Amino acid sequence: MKRNALIVLLPVLLFVLNGFSEPIPIARSGPQELSPLEDLGRYLFFDPRLSGDGSLSCASCHNPEYGWTDGQQLSRAYPGSDGFRNTKSTLNISDTKHLYWDGRLPGSDLETQVRDAITETHFMNLDGRLMQERLKQVPEYIQMFEIALSSEPSFGGTLKAIAAFEKTLRTGPSPYDTDNLSDAAKRGQLIFEGKGACSSCHSGATFTDHAPHRTGVPENPSILGMPLRHATYRSFIKAMGVPGYMQAKTDVGYFTVTKSSKDLGAFITPVLKQVADTGPYMHNGMFSTLEEVVSFYDKRGDGLALTEVEKADLVTFLESLSGPLPEVEVPQLPAYQLINNWNEARN
Amino acid sequence: MNINSRIPFFPVLVGLGLVLLIAGWQLMIQPDPIPLSALGPPPIPADNSQSVDENGFPLLDDPKVQLGKYLFYDNRLSGDASISCADCHSDNFGWTDGADLCRGYAGTSHWRNCQTIINSAYFSKFFWDGSSKSLETQAISAASGAVAGNGERDMMEERLRQIPFYVEFFDQVFGTSWPHQEDAWRAIAAFERALIQPVTPFDRFMKGDVLALSSDQKAGLALFTGKAGCISCHGGPLLTDEKFYNIGVPENPAFTDDALRQITFRYEQYAKGVPEEIYRKVKTDLGLYYVSKRMEDMGKFRTPMLRYLAYTAPYMHNGAFYTLEEVVDFYNEGGGPDPIKAGFDFGTKSERIQPLGLTQTERRQLVAFLESTTGDEIKSERPVLPQYGAAIPISEGQR
Repeated sequence: MKRNALIVLLPVLLFVLNGFSEPIPIARSGPQELSPLEDLGRYLFFDPRLSGDGSLSCASCHNPEYGWTDGQQLSRAYPGSDGFRNTKSTLNISDTKHLYWDGRLPGSDLETQVRDAITETHFMNLDGRLMQERLKQVPEYIQMFEIALSSEPSFGGTLKAIAAFEKTLRTGPSPYDTDNLSDAAKRGQLIFEGKGACSSCHSGATFTDHAPHRTGVPENPSILGMPLRHATYRSFIKAMGVPGYMQAKTDVGYFTVTKSSKDLGAFITPVLKQVADTGPYMHNGMFSTLEEVVSFYDKRGDGLALTEVEKADLVTFLESLSGPLPEVEVPQLPAYQLINNWNEARN
Repeated sequence: MNINSRIPFFPVLVGLGLVLLIAGWQLMIQPDPIPLSALGPPPIPADNSQSVDENGFPLLDDPKVQLGKYLFYDNRLSGDASISCADCHSDNFGWTDGADLCRGYAGTSHWRNCQTIINSAYFSKFFWDGSSKSLETQAISAASGAVAGNGERDMMEERLRQIPFYVEFFDQVFGTSWPHQEDAWRAIAAFERALIQPVTPFDRFMKGDVLALSSDQKAGLALFTGKAGCISCHGGPLLTDEKFYNIGVPENPAFTDDALRQITFRYEQYAKGVPEEIYRKVKTDLGLYYVSKRMEDMGKFRTPMLRYLAYTAPYMHNGAFYTLEEVVDFYNEGGGPDPIKAGFDFGTKSERIQPLGLTQTERRQLVAFLESTTGDEIKSERPVLPQYGAAIPISEGQR
């Protein structure tokens, strides 16, 4: 009985003592100074407790090691499901006016994209209410939320923080930005804007017209051929309200947004900044290299009739759209802590 | 002189009225207990028929039941395909998970005791707070709750549609070209309806076999219906009135000892939609309140069935007791303090729970009787689950 009392009292004692000690230090990220909200977002971005079974974090698919993608043709997904689109990079995400390959969210609504990612069944499959209660079990998060948002951990606050962190993931100036192109890259730029007509869609400062196009990228056979991908894809287009979803034999793309048959198989032109770091390419990862992408456009339709040298120059140009990657320190995640004065503490 | 004429008429009338009022009130709070009886065939819902034998008992070889058995064991009916119905309702633990508090979904802990599937066919309410009204809807809640199965309907349905064995089996049973998730729940419910135990020493005794119970068990039965008053709630063939009571079950220490349980405790308050002030301060499971949102229902839980008890420990909504002896001792002492009073300025503990003054022998006899409502252990063979198979040939998918 006495020993039991000690076991009960010891954590209480530790908690009380802890209450008088220094506040828990919060590690700062690397070279880039983050605001408290952005830094909170950095922790949350890497925290697998933001998925239903604790197996995936945002960084599982947006991995800094692979240009903030997962480096796969088709994204990995929550266990028990399998991805049917290529993971888009979170680098320079503010440059895009549409989120997702099918553009189903406006670029300004990053927080909703984060919500999707956390709660959708094939992404991270977590009940937002459970997420809030998990974060409230981590004293460091309680402190960070208080500093960043003057509130206790919440679902909405989490979305804000992660979106704020993602906006900090900007790459540095590229050879193109600094007017430092090699001769080959300069020749490639001429093809990009001229004979290749790439700039007819990849236009403007961010190399995109932010519009949907059907480019005829071949279907990725594993989307229909692999049962779990197929199941995931069908449950997704069903949720998007695609009529006849049981019969869909191709990725319907932007059709999910407009339900107009002209948009079947159309996808939003991707931003090309940092493109060399974010392969495989296309909405379904069908091309592993930029050479394959260039060959695809060269042969498409009537063909561009690019010479081998021209194709190589075009690739060189695309490679010079990359600048230094942001340096982000992967955080040491704070653990759940038992609330020792459970019966007295307010929830 | 007639003595009767001396009795004043009016006070007699008032007195008589008062007696009737008190009697009526007593009757209202203490209705006649439902008499104990043997278990008959279970009700089969009109919208989910299944084959029964000549006495109305479900047949195990009904294709719907067999399909339901596969699905009951199929882990793909959960969020991350890691957990099936059978993981928390395992025949190794009396069709529960054998823990005081249910294990729950990966990365989480559940917060209540798993109840057995055996004889669930007879219930009109499911879960400790009665939040589901049929086996079919119970399955939905269990497969989709964030700390239970965490599955999403359409994803689970699409998984089934990628399993050729199921596509064919659902067609055979339900006549649909593709499996429908609602039919999956129907099949699982049909399987569960076949998991019943109408043959126990108690049932044989109730049918007239006086030798079915030992003398201790018979004495226990007399206590159950008499001195111990168990029957006031645990009546009828299931030994439950399926009503809700607060009996003062002590808190499970897991909530003060385990961070994951604390997370789930708060999550449940949030998810069940209690007002913020209650969310902030509550430290005890409010039971029926989550369903009714009436303060007087706080801390009340559905009277459990008293069958198959030998295999379904621990007992109570939070697994507070590991043995029937502990349970009987608890009642003998008049239950525990009202947990609602710890957090609110009122209580809801049932007046029926009073110290019983049972002797040690009587307590032993009562336990002996409770053991008579369990028959043979019901076991099941885990089926070999069918594999995914491409429903559409790869070549068709290419342009």
